[in-house]
Amino acid sequence: MNVYLGGCAPQINILGVGNSTTMEVIKVARPGKFWKTESALAYFLLLPALVFLILFMFYPIVYVFFMSFFKVNKLAELVSFSGLDNYRYMFAKPEFWQIIVRSCVWTALAVAAKTVIGLIIALLLNVDFRGRKIARTLTIIPWASSVPISAMIWQWTYNSDFGLLNYTLQKLGIMSNPPIWLAYPRSAFFACLWVDIWCGIPFMALVFLAGLQAIPQELYEAAEVDGAGSLAKFRSVTLPLLSGVLTIATLLSILWTFNDFNVIYILTTGGPGTSTDILITYIYKYAFQYLRFGPAAAMAVITFAILLTVSIIYARNYFRGGEVL
Amino acid sequence: MKRRLLLVSVILVLVLGLSVSALAQKKVSVLWMEYDGLTPDYALNLEKAFEEAHPEIDLNIISTPWDEGHDRLITFIAGGQPPDLAVIGTRWLLELLDMDVVEPIEDWLSEDLINNIDPALMEGKIGGVLYGLPVAAGTRLLYYRSDLVDKAPETYEEMLEMALKIHNPDQKFHAVGMSGQKYVELTEHAYYLFGNDGYYFEMLPDGTYGKCTVNDEAGIGAMTFMNDLVNTHKVTQPGVTAYRRDELQDLFIAGNLGFFMSGGFTATMLEQRGATFEWDVAPIPHFEGKPQSSLIVTDSIVLFKDSKVKEEASKFLDFFYSDPWRLEFDKLIGFPPVTKSLADDPHFQTPVYQVLIEQIPGSKGWPLIAEWPECNDIIWDNIVAAFLEQKTPEQAMNDAAQEIDSIRGM
Repeated sequence: MNVYLGGCAPQINILGVGNSTTMEVIKVARPGKFWKTESALAYFLLLPALVFLILFMFYPIVYVFFMSFFKVNKLAELVSFSGLDNYRYMFAKPEFWQIIVRSCVWTALAVAAKTVIGLIIALLLNVDFRGRKIARTLTIIPWASSVPISAMIWQWTYNSDFGLLNYTLQKLGIMSNPPIWLAYPRSAFFACLWVDIWCGIPFMALVFLAGLQAIPQELYEAAEVDGAGSLAKFRSVTLPLLSGVLTIATLLSILWTFNDFNVIYILTTGGPGTSTDILITYIYKYAFQYLRFGPAAAMAVITFAILLTVSIIYARNYFRGGEVL
Repeated sequence: MKRRLLLVSVILVLVLGLSVSALAQKKVSVLWMEYDGLTPDYALNLEKAFEEAHPEIDLNIISTPWDEGHDRLITFIAGGQPPDLAVIGTRWLLELLDMDVVEPIEDWLSEDLINNIDPALMEGKIGGVLYGLPVAAGTRLLYYRSDLVDKAPETYEEMLEMALKIHNPDQKFHAVGMSGQKYVELTEHAYYLFGNDGYYFEMLPDGTYGKCTVNDEAGIGAMTFMNDLVNTHKVTQPGVTAYRRDELQDLFIAGNLGFFMSGGFTATMLEQRGATFEWDVAPIPHFEGKPQSSLIVTDSIVLFKDSKVKEEASKFLDFFYSDPWRLEFDKLIGFPPVTKSLADDPHFQTPVYQVLIEQIPGSKGWPLIAEWPECNDIIWDNIVAAFLEQKTPEQAMNDAAQEIDSIRGM
């Protein structure tokens, strides 16, 4: 059957019947000049996304870069070139360095915990047991609910007078005098950290679970034949085959955790004092509370540089390992 | 067939009519703050009633919690999308003037309306021009458990004496409420500072603000007393740095606090939530030998320069400032009336309002400087450092003053 698309249209012999014995792919339609190639059409179709990216990603990023080198008024308009003044101002503040260190510690601890707990949950959910579907559904709940709402619920939970956590600890006799979680720098930091971990575990667990299910069962059977125990199977089969997923999941988690504004701002607004502030909450304060967009932009550029460096290191390791998405 | 045609035509005419009337409507947006005690119904009813009275105007009231109001407004402005009107803390006005985004509201107010506002409350008048129309103005009060103490303390020293007697942490009853977590403004500190005849800045002869004075004798004295309540006498609720001002209010309403300083709205909340204990109000205490002085907080409505519906916005102000709506508003938020026409209303002749009004002459407001939000945070962070015993009260106030002077280039 020959399909004609127009007067001078191409013919494609689909079924190979008629006079043709071989598949004939033949003339391609000759529409307008623009449609000459498939790639032109592809670019055309990508254009809306490109415009969107330029407007909402590229332009703000470039503008923030500019702002960081300018004196900026309270309407975020560039006033005059100020060189590195905004950077110098932030670098001269001891508090800024504490916040950088805290942001890194916050991210490292949260991502490590989310990875370990997420992996354990994924391994458990990968085992065939009764009620597995319900368990998987329950695992998703923290991720399915919005982070600000989860943070608000945790804020109530941590409330020392009316909160569920201290009430439960007292009723169960675990602590007669439970701490006031958000009152002191260390406990407030770990209280926030736990909420971030709680919100992030489902994503890690689900991604790892998907990775685990992609590992061929034969490999485990072969390992068993070789006399490998559970730990050896995990070390020699599961981990190496999960490394690609681990890399991507932890990279995403690093980026999200480093920029997790909601949890800290809702639970403590960075307090007591500034003891739970991380870079993102500090940037927010400078930009939208103090209207000092110059130093805020300098901090945003520093955050960008930190996360870009981490991403590049990750990408290099990932592709060096031969993993391709 | 004819019937169908007729039906289709009628529907078309209706749809077209509705579309045209929707297009003809002018939209007025108001950034509205959720005062304690102000029910969501109030804003909804106001919007509905106004639109019924002015079908040509589509009013959009954007309700916002107070502690998010400033940042939300700034986000709107920075994004080039300011509302037409906004309720603001009058202390933000300098910041908005600095940004050159507010319109002299006096140019758009009817004579009746402007004449009905108490001139003493026009804190939003800068350089002789009224930019902020007072929406709420009130001093602060001492709430105390009249079932536990015979009379209200006049001085902080008396309050401490009483607090030591009634404090009973084993029964989760704490004598004095103290907040340490940021919530809009550092009001707690202002009560003690003003009661010690102190202020945040020295006032220069030309009426501008000079160096920060939180580390003068009055400032350090007030901070030391606050710190002693928390760390030496331990008569406050434990973990003060975890409590926001609104959480203290909940604690008082729940019957867990003996003394608590707040606005008139707490009286409304106590009634709304049916508090079962006996309570009363008194003027904010002061330190021995120092004059009594309360914090006076005024909030204003501003009109934005970019608004294309200033006349319609003005109509909304006339509507909102009419007696029935203002009376309901003032009742709910627990502030004395800003309109002269309601001054003699029976509702405002109760003891709570009497105390609120009698404190006005000696009261002090927030400093009107553009950098106030940052100064506010700096002082607060240092207060917290003192509460956490990371700094002595003196060191904390010295550090705060030094940093504030530095950011103000002094």
